[in-house]
Amino acid sequence: MPKATPRSRTSSVKLPPALGAIADSIIEAKLPNGLRIRLVPNAGVPTCSYYTFFKVGARNERPGITGISHLFEHMMFNGAKKYGPGMFDKVLESNGGSSNAYTSNDLTVYYEDFMAEALEKVIDLESDRMRSLAVTPKMLASERQVVMEERRLRVDNEIAGMMDEELGALVYKAHPYRWPVIGWMGDIENIKREDCLEYFRTYYAPNNATIYVAGDFDPKQALALIRKAYGNIKAGPAVPGVLDAEPEQKGERRANVHYPAQAHSLMIAWRGPKGDDPDTFILDVVQYALSVGQSSRLTKKLVFELELAVGVNVDWTWRFDPGTFTVGLELKAGGDPAKAEAALYGELERLAKDGLDARELEKAKNNLAGTLMRELATNSGRAHALGTYEMMLGDWRRGLALPTAYEGITSEDVKRVVAKYLGRERRNVVTLVPTNGAEA
Amino acid sequence: MTAALKLRPLKLPPHEKRKLGNGLMLHLVPRGPLPLVAVRLVMRGGSVWDPAGRAGVADFAARLFRRGAGGRTADELSEAIDFVGAAMGGYANEENVVLSLSCPSRHLEPMLELMGLLLLRPDFPEAELELSRRRTLAQLQNELDDPGALAERAWARAMWGTHPYGHETLGQKKSIESMTRADLVDFHKTRLGPVLAHLYVVGDIDVDRITTVADRIFGGWKGGPELAPQVPDWAGPERSGQVIIVDKPEQTQVQLRIGAEGVKRGHVDHFPLTVMNAVLGGGFTSRLIREIRVKRGLSYGAHSAFDMMGNAGTFMVGSFTKTESINTLIDVALAEVKKMRAKGPTTLEVDTMKRYISGLYPSRLETNEAVAGSIADVQHYGLPEDWITGYRDRVNAVTAKDAARAAATHLFDAKRVIVLVGNAQTLAPKVSKYGHVTVVKPDELE
Repeated sequence: MPKATPRSRTSSVKLPPALGAIADSIIEAKLPNGLRIRLVPNAGVPTCSYYTFFKVGARNERPGITGISHLFEHMMFNGAKKYGPGMFDKVLESNGGSSNAYTSNDLTVYYEDFMAEALEKVIDLESDRMRSLAVTPKMLASERQVVMEERRLRVDNEIAGMMDEELGALVYKAHPYRWPVIGWMGDIENIKREDCLEYFRTYYAPNNATIYVAGDFDPKQALALIRKAYGNIKAGPAVPGVLDAEPEQKGERRANVHYPAQAHSLMIAWRGPKGDDPDTFILDVVQYALSVGQSSRLTKKLVFELELAVGVNVDWTWRFDPGTFTVGLELKAGGDPAKAEAALYGELERLAKDGLDARELEKAKNNLAGTLMRELATNSGRAHALGTYEMMLGDWRRGLALPTAYEGITSEDVKRVVAKYLGRERRNVVTLVPTNGAEA
Repeated sequence: MTAALKLRPLKLPPHEKRKLGNGLMLHLVPRGPLPLVAVRLVMRGGSVWDPAGRAGVADFAARLFRRGAGGRTADELSEAIDFVGAAMGGYANEENVVLSLSCPSRHLEPMLELMGLLLLRPDFPEAELELSRRRTLAQLQNELDDPGALAERAWARAMWGTHPYGHETLGQKKSIESMTRADLVDFHKTRLGPVLAHLYVVGDIDVDRITTVADRIFGGWKGGPELAPQVPDWAGPERSGQVIIVDKPEQTQVQLRIGAEGVKRGHVDHFPLTVMNAVLGGGFTSRLIREIRVKRGLSYGAHSAFDMMGNAGTFMVGSFTKTESINTLIDVALAEVKKMRAKGPTTLEVDTMKRYISGLYPSRLETNEAVAGSIADVQHYGLPEDWITGYRDRVNAVTAKDAARAAATHLFDAKRVIVLVGNAQTLAPKVSKYGHVTVVKPDELE
């Protein structure tokens, strides 16, 4: 686990004034039990956002209990010692706030947005469930049904969900990224209360958590309140590591999903580098150049020129271990998936051979810098972005310094990473094959 | 009882209005500290006023603005916009045509110049029209695979019938197929003009400088309507008392939407209804969530909402469940509406939701885009000048009695439609007790 770096490192990278002001405002602390605290005061509007990041996600699961990270996320709203079942949201809403959470492959993240006056109450609510969550058989039974319905919504009756699930199992053979975050239906049905309790003890201890608070509050007072509320929660054991035993891919892998649909669809993915690998930022540039805006390469080629697709989407989500660079192509009815694939591979070969011209490179960098700035425009966005950067890169400072990191990227870098990661032998292709005869 | 509310003041940046010689009203809001700007040009002239047989022309034309203007090609325009990290484009909703721009403040002036080109000199090139026609039709078709989108489409038809609020903003297949360049040129010439338009510029700006720039770019804009046409009154849901099933035999889950008449924007009961609806199906502790999700595990989500437009409004309850549970879901949803209509919310529920709504209200004003949108709503719907700054006080003035009266007056009794998306063969016999059942195929909604 990387230690919080000393302040002086901020000055080693020159930040634009707006980002520098944010960096200077951040206060960091670490409690003896290992809890990390980051305070980001901002008096724009009289509200706050409170984020708790736990380093646990589908990556920490095993076959038989897939989906437990996400099911557990639901259980966190179902009662602890001081605030019993149903009380968390009742108390929060009556104090002018709302809450939600999400689970990813790597993280489980809880957040509240609320009127500034309610900060003390939110600290009380969050520390209560970290200290003394209750997992009752009744609540677990009910929440299990809710999650099964969520799975029916997002996967079993949703084409992109079905394809994505198929894709994960294609790209990964050994790594836990193989299974979907929501879990297999059979596992959701069978997760035991004991599994949940074990999960809580192992992963929900303060030493595996980081808190971000952004908004209109007094940092001194907030820090004192957090120390008082969380200080006597016991540290947990060291969190077990996750082995990345994924073997090298030695050739293209393909799978089909047959389902009633208007048109074919494609999801094509390559295993990329880890989130904190310098090549990750180069792939950010590649993602922009390929798919963001009407002038991007794949949009121009596949949507406007060849008219094969109605939409192009490239997902490059950073992960702790090597994640996937995924191209989604939603074809037109009658659009030939083989032609769409050929056009995509043609564009990638061109990129590996010629790279990006100077203007395209600058365009991608301008957009990446703009995206960062917009993320920071709200309290919730600010806490979330900085926290995510710390989780992924080890330090939020590296997040704020991203525009500088992007600045140094060259066309040669682009050529190298496209050739290294997005080649033929490493690709994984899922095709949606319509079954209702809508195809010509 | 919750303690009385003491709210910290809501600091709104100064909002300056300046009118150009041609009648275009500027709304300028300097607001830092981030070097970003949001611009919205809002023109009265949305899909409500699309002529018969040309539903969707406003949205279709507005989206074509950036596919060729002032002699510059789609590629040239996209390249210039994308290069600086800006987002720019046109679209129409029911009542307005909107040109929107978000960009880093140092690129504002050249981007405004381009925006002027898009607005004043769109070329509507034939090739781009055909390309856009093919693409829009393909999108319409692919949307038929999305159960949620199908539910919304079937719901809108069952609610509005032929009323202009039912002109779907993307337009319908037939009218898109027959759209000509002359239709687009005519739309641009007759339905857009400075007199009914408002330009909102929010963010890192200098007010005087932007006034000069806006006058240079938009000052010569002429023509268009001087009076906003009226929206005809609405007699209530077209398929009242009926059940519509969109048949998707492969589905293991059913999408449910219940619809009824609501109220228009600015209605005197706005705040009692807002608080009452939050109790019924707004937040995460709402009655619908409690009864459907928490107590029975029937669904992952359930909500209710009023959609308020200039001259009419709707009320919707939405959820989903596995096919076997559809009757329980519908019965619980209808029972909760009935109970609320009969008795209203409790004082405790009203107090809780007042804090919930007013506490979170300021977070609706965090970005330049959100501030522009809020100010535009006040202007467009003729709301009181202190709508934004007084919003939380108006919420907090609502009593349980007000909320109960609003529920009794506006929540539906028998006049409602039920829309389902799922396996019609299994569903039809289960739901015939709620009213006459009509089964439609997805492609009838294209």
